[in-house]
Amino acid sequence: MITVDNISKTYGNRKVLDGLCFSAEGRKITYVFGTSGGGKSTMLKILIGATAPDSGEVRYGDLDITALRGRSLDPYRKRIGVLFQNNALLNSLTVAENIALPIREHTALDQNIVHIMVKMKLELVGLRDFEDLYPEQLSGGMQKRVALARALALDPEVVYFDEPTSGLDPIIASVITKLIKDLNRLLGITCIVVTHAVHEAMKIADKIILLYRGKVLAEGTPQEIRESADPLVQQFITGSPDGPISFHASSKDFRDDLLVG
Amino acid sequence: MRNLFGYVGRAFIAFLGILSRIYFLFRETLVQSRIVLHDPVRRGQAGILRRIDEVGARSLPLVMTVSAFLGIAFTVLVSFQLRELGALSYLPGFVAVALLREVGPLITALIIAGRVGAAFTSRIGTMKVAEEILALETMAINPVRFLVVNRFLAMLVSLPALTVIASVTALAGGFLYGNLRLGITLDTYLRETLDVIVFKDVYSGLLKSVVFAAVIVLVGCDRGFAVEGGAEGVGRATMLAVVSSTLTIIVFDTIMTTAFYG
Repeated sequence: MITVDNISKTYGNRKVLDGLCFSAEGRKITYVFGTSGGGKSTMLKILIGATAPDSGEVRYGDLDITALRGRSLDPYRKRIGVLFQNNALLNSLTVAENIALPIREHTALDQNIVHIMVKMKLELVGLRDFEDLYPEQLSGGMQKRVALARALALDPEVVYFDEPTSGLDPIIASVITKLIKDLNRLLGITCIVVTHAVHEAMKIADKIILLYRGKVLAEGTPQEIRESADPLVQQFITGSPDGPISFHASSKDFRDDLLVG
Repeated sequence: MRNLFGYVGRAFIAFLGILSRIYFLFRETLVQSRIVLHDPVRRGQAGILRRIDEVGARSLPLVMTVSAFLGIAFTVLVSFQLRELGALSYLPGFVAVALLREVGPLITALIIAGRVGAAFTSRIGTMKVAEEILALETMAINPVRFLVVNRFLAMLVSLPALTVIASVTALAGGFLYGNLRLGITLDTYLRETLDVIVFKDVYSGLLKSVVFAAVIVLVGCDRGFAVEGGAEGVGRATMLAVVSSTLTIIVFDTIMTTAFYG
């Protein structure tokens, strides 16, 4: 169980997160979505311990992640996996070396066993024949799957996904979505997915959290979100350009702005 | 005037910030180097030999070419002055002392700061931009151990070795000019050289090169870790790394030369 309790974060004058509260149950798939710049990435960075919030706390079970710094985060980090939006594979290492990296770092296993584990992780994502290639020799979708295999290397309890399907073709996107579902249903891994892809969220999520201007706008099962009467929520789901959410990001009045000069 | 004070103050505070970052990086590098050296598995994984090949062996052609030409040019200049004074017999000793104490270590360090230090910054900076360093951290892998330790250890071996090779090459260049243009025989040249140089000339140069190696690695890696803002950030950080390590090397060189011989 992951509990986000009243976290706020400000960059310069911009309040990215403003008293965000929600919880994500263990062994479930929770999708967090919202508009670009809505605070999703910042929230994810706080959840993985990469950034500290200005206030509030994040708890994983009994562990207060926000109270931990540097090396003391390591025990938590060994229990999670992160799939980065740009994959963040180490380009100087082969596919197999990338996946073996966390295993070699945190276990004293024999090379042969590490090799078998790498093969198992690659089989899980359907890329067993590609272990000797370098990340740049793979397509975007394959890189994504290798990154997922690496995130799973230490058999994590939770995997965080940052925009797992953005920039992928619809078929690969569906494959990734199915992989997320399988990881959860077959291996019992808690999945927290940050995305703006509404349709995949509706398909497989156990719970959806809708972020808007650094706060939770709505949360519930896909069914509850779909049936919400809130026009903001409806605009999210339908992706309509017309509605209460304006595409103008500037706060100043256009007429005033022009007349100043 | 207030602006000037503000500017100087801000620059000073920024400088102190960088010093403190480098101090912490140095401390962490020493701690992590100890861990790597004491653990045979990690030592094997660190790929120190591969790094020595990359920073040391592959720098050899450049270092040797530059130092050979420099040795010749230096000997030409010195011989011109000494001939005026009628003291040409002092040439080999004079050249050897200057090359071993000062020119060899300094020029090698400056070449390596440009060739290798810059590469460290751009490599680590690119990894920072691509979130590879964040990925290492979220896998609970210490980025300093993974990225700095092998570079640090490789440089501690490579730079002194390159310095010795550079000094010997420069001396050979000097002899070449002395022999071909001034007619000094190998016997005389060697005797004159060995008569003058003492062990201190050699170890002071080596000690300098060890300090320069640490400067190049720490400044190069620190600037890499500090990169913000994409490709432009990497370019700026690389340029800053070369400028800062060049300046730091020259400052340390002056301090150490003064301490040894001042």
